[in-house]
Amino acid sequence: MEDMELENLFERRESVRLTPENAVFTRSEGGLISLRLSHPEAPEKEEEFFERVIPLRGFPITDPEQFISVREPDTKEKGRGAEIGIIYDLAEFDEAQQTLLRSELDRHYFTPELLKIYSVKEKFGYLYFETETSAGKTSFVMNNPYSNFRSFEDDRIFLYDIDGNCFQISDPSKLDKASYKRIEIYL
Amino acid sequence: MKLYYALPADDKKALPPLLPGEKKMYCLPYNYEDARNVNGFMLFTNRRIFKLRDGALLDTWDVSRMSSFSVEKMFGCSGLYAKVDGITTCLCLFNSGRNLPRYSVIVSSYENITQRGDDRVLVSNEPERFCPKCGRPFIKHTKLCPFCQSKGKIYKKLWGMTRGLRLMLLFPLVAAIISLVLRFVVPAIQRVAIDRYIIPRNIDGLQGFILVILAIIGCDLFARFISVIQSRISATSANRFTLMLRSILFEKIQSLSIASIHKKSTGDLMGRINNDVNVVQNFITNLLPSYLTQILSFILALVILIYMNPLLCLFVFIPIPFAVVFILLFRKTMSRRNIRAWVLARRTNAQLQDTLDGIRVVKTYGNEEAAVRDFTTNTGNQSRQDESNAKLFDTVFPFVGFVLRLGSYLITLFGNLWVFHGTMQVGELSQFGSYSGIIYEPIMQITSIPRNISAFSTSLGKILELLEEDPDVYDYSSPDYKRLEGHVSIRDVTFGYDSYNPVLEHINLEVNQGEMIGIVGHSGCGKTTLINLIMRLYDVTEGSILIDGVDVRAMSQNSLRTQMGVVLQETHLFSGSIRDNIRYAMPNASNEEVVRAAKLANAHDFIVRLPEGYNTMVGEKGYSLSGGERQRVAIARALIHNPRILILDEATAALDTETEKLIQDAIDRVITGRTTFVIAHRLSTLRNADKILVLDHGKMAEFGTHKELLDMQGIYYKLVMSQVRQQQESGK
Repeated sequence: MEDMELENLFERRESVRLTPENAVFTRSEGGLISLRLSHPEAPEKEEEFFERVIPLRGFPITDPEQFISVREPDTKEKGRGAEIGIIYDLAEFDEAQQTLLRSELDRHYFTPELLKIYSVKEKFGYLYFETETSAGKTSFVMNNPYSNFRSFEDDRIFLYDIDGNCFQISDPSKLDKASYKRIEIYL
Repeated sequence: MKLYYALPADDKKALPPLLPGEKKMYCLPYNYEDARNVNGFMLFTNRRIFKLRDGALLDTWDVSRMSSFSVEKMFGCSGLYAKVDGITTCLCLFNSGRNLPRYSVIVSSYENITQRGDDRVLVSNEPERFCPKCGRPFIKHTKLCPFCQSKGKIYKKLWGMTRGLRLMLLFPLVAAIISLVLRFVVPAIQRVAIDRYIIPRNIDGLQGFILVILAIIGCDLFARFISVIQSRISATSANRFTLMLRSILFEKIQSLSIASIHKKSTGDLMGRINNDVNVVQNFITNLLPSYLTQILSFILALVILIYMNPLLCLFVFIPIPFAVVFILLFRKTMSRRNIRAWVLARRTNAQLQDTLDGIRVVKTYGNEEAAVRDFTTNTGNQSRQDESNAKLFDTVFPFVGFVLRLGSYLITLFGNLWVFHGTMQVGELSQFGSYSGIIYEPIMQITSIPRNISAFSTSLGKILELLEEDPDVYDYSSPDYKRLEGHVSIRDVTFGYDSYNPVLEHINLEVNQGEMIGIVGHSGCGKTTLINLIMRLYDVTEGSILIDGVDVRAMSQNSLRTQMGVVLQETHLFSGSIRDNIRYAMPNASNEEVVRAAKLANAHDFIVRLPEGYNTMVGEKGYSLSGGERQRVAIARALIHNPRILILDEATAALDTETEKLIQDAIDRVITGRTTFVIAHRLSTLRNADKILVLDHGKMAEFGTHKELLDMQGIYYKLVMSQVRQQQESGK
């Protein structure tokens, strides 16, 4: 193991483009994702099996289904989170694998949808929210609302709270009037 | 930080009985399951892990079959993972901000259990960031919960701080009351003048009339005199109060350890010394007396008006409810519009700063037009909002004023009717009118009072919180100043800025007097931390550091640090001359000593070539020195008091070969006779090192002489090879 660590200090594995030709994603026994990676272009290389891989979005907000970096877990022992490869477009894979990867990605990028905003109170520079989200009733606290409300060009709004959570409003026009009015001034 | 939460009663019932030798260690909440919020709990024992929710036991894991515990921070939540029989499993998902530090302790603890059989219950020294009563977060960097803090306690402390200033603080109040009384007396005298002399055209009583006029003039003079005195005294008291608060705050900050200062930002500390002190001072010396006198004058005017003419008094009050309701309603719109204007102004400023800071980039990419366009859009939005606000406010406020004036129209109308009927006298009416004006004043301020009070108590809370913080690096006894020799031994030192996340683990090092130790390793491996521990900017978590056989914790921080010379990676020079900077550690150093230090540091030559030599101003406003020059000044500064232990943290920035050689020579020269620790980025710096320590992820990977390490063909060997390769490549 000692030797491997030294190797990794200077030589990282070479990241490849992942396509249905060289990569097969399956659900792992632990309910996570495993990857079987072959090397059609270099037949001398053995097929590799990763018990668990972590998919990360390169453009989580603008292009959530493109440029997905598939990595080894970032643990102390092995690999240190090296990139195995990149999926250029999720649509290249079959339905079953798409669903599998999408569910894992959605678990990783946990952004409940704000359905209703019951109240927003400002005290000492903090905003206290009482809301209904797709994850259930949620109260959260935001500091510095002027940098923690983020609007995007497609009208989506992200709200970041003090605990590192993120809530989204994917279509502000669908939010009821009373709820929208409570956050309007921060937008 | 809390690591054992109480289980709800029905979860407790669902818990199976403990095995022999099994003990409960931690119990933490987990927050999410299948993209839903839940209130579940994880109970951790030395042998099993239970997952409980709503009175049901959802899962049980056997620790003996588990390995590779880890927490993963994801986007919007975090998870606890482990391998069960070699298969990675996600045990639970939780809120990152609240629980990530807690679960990190669990991971360390299970590493201890599974790898070393050590099942001690770990404790976390991390401060709790959430109010234990209501679960809401404390105000940033404080232990104040805006919903639960007791106001009474705060005000009591403030009262304690005003000792010595109380009389002065009391005077504005006294003065305000005097001028208040005068405000009531003058209309009464005017009434006498009108009713006795003006209306009856009383020429015979000219003497009396002149007396009355003189009395009015006298009152006016007296009022002005009082107000002058009051302004003078409150200028003194306000400034003394500020001075007192600022100096105790600054003293306190200087006494805090680096660890607690690091947890706060410079901006936050500056804010407390500047803004918060001002808010508190302004409230105490200006707002508070003014509020008190307004309340007092309102009550007094009310009583007098009712006493004078209850019926007429009713008219005074007719418009008040309308005005109050209107002001309260309008307040919301007003604050919304003000916030909006403020946001837009901020956006313009931010963009302005961003573009001006990056003006070189803008120009090199030829993007001036886009920058101008962005700026025009932002500033246009801002000016439109400001314009619309100004128009609205300037329309509404005169109208509110008019509504309030309605009362006085009614008074004029009915009062004069009474005067015509002879039931009231003109002077009395005029006096009544003056008093009714007094009543309206406080009403216009209704909107600002709550805001000012809450701003005041927040600021005060933040100041008191800082004042009450305990320094966490203590001088334990009052040790004597002892001349150091420079023998350093580091014994089994483990340290982490957060207790659950060690940056250094089990470091052992013996350094003889006068030796030079090189410390290498990639960034983040704990090099700077090790240096900080030797300087005792932090105290070790485990193990000990001895200098000349004495634990550094038994030495006073002052005597320890005055005998060390330190060149930090970022060489901060204070505003002042080069001479002042060099003799920073020894302000009474002679010019000869300054020159000697500068020569040792190879800085003398470039300094004397500057137009103003050693008197050249540097720092924020002064002459800008190059990176290499600053570094040599910093080395001179570290040498001025001839320290026995020298610490050099080499700058990472690349220097040209000549400068590098100058610095290299300087280092070679200054290390003789001193114990030196050098954090090196360029391995050539270590040519003369007696021993080299290679750190890897906080552990001692290799330790030995240059030659020994090369023979080992380990990390150091690879580092050397890669640098040699780089040099060859750049040489070509």
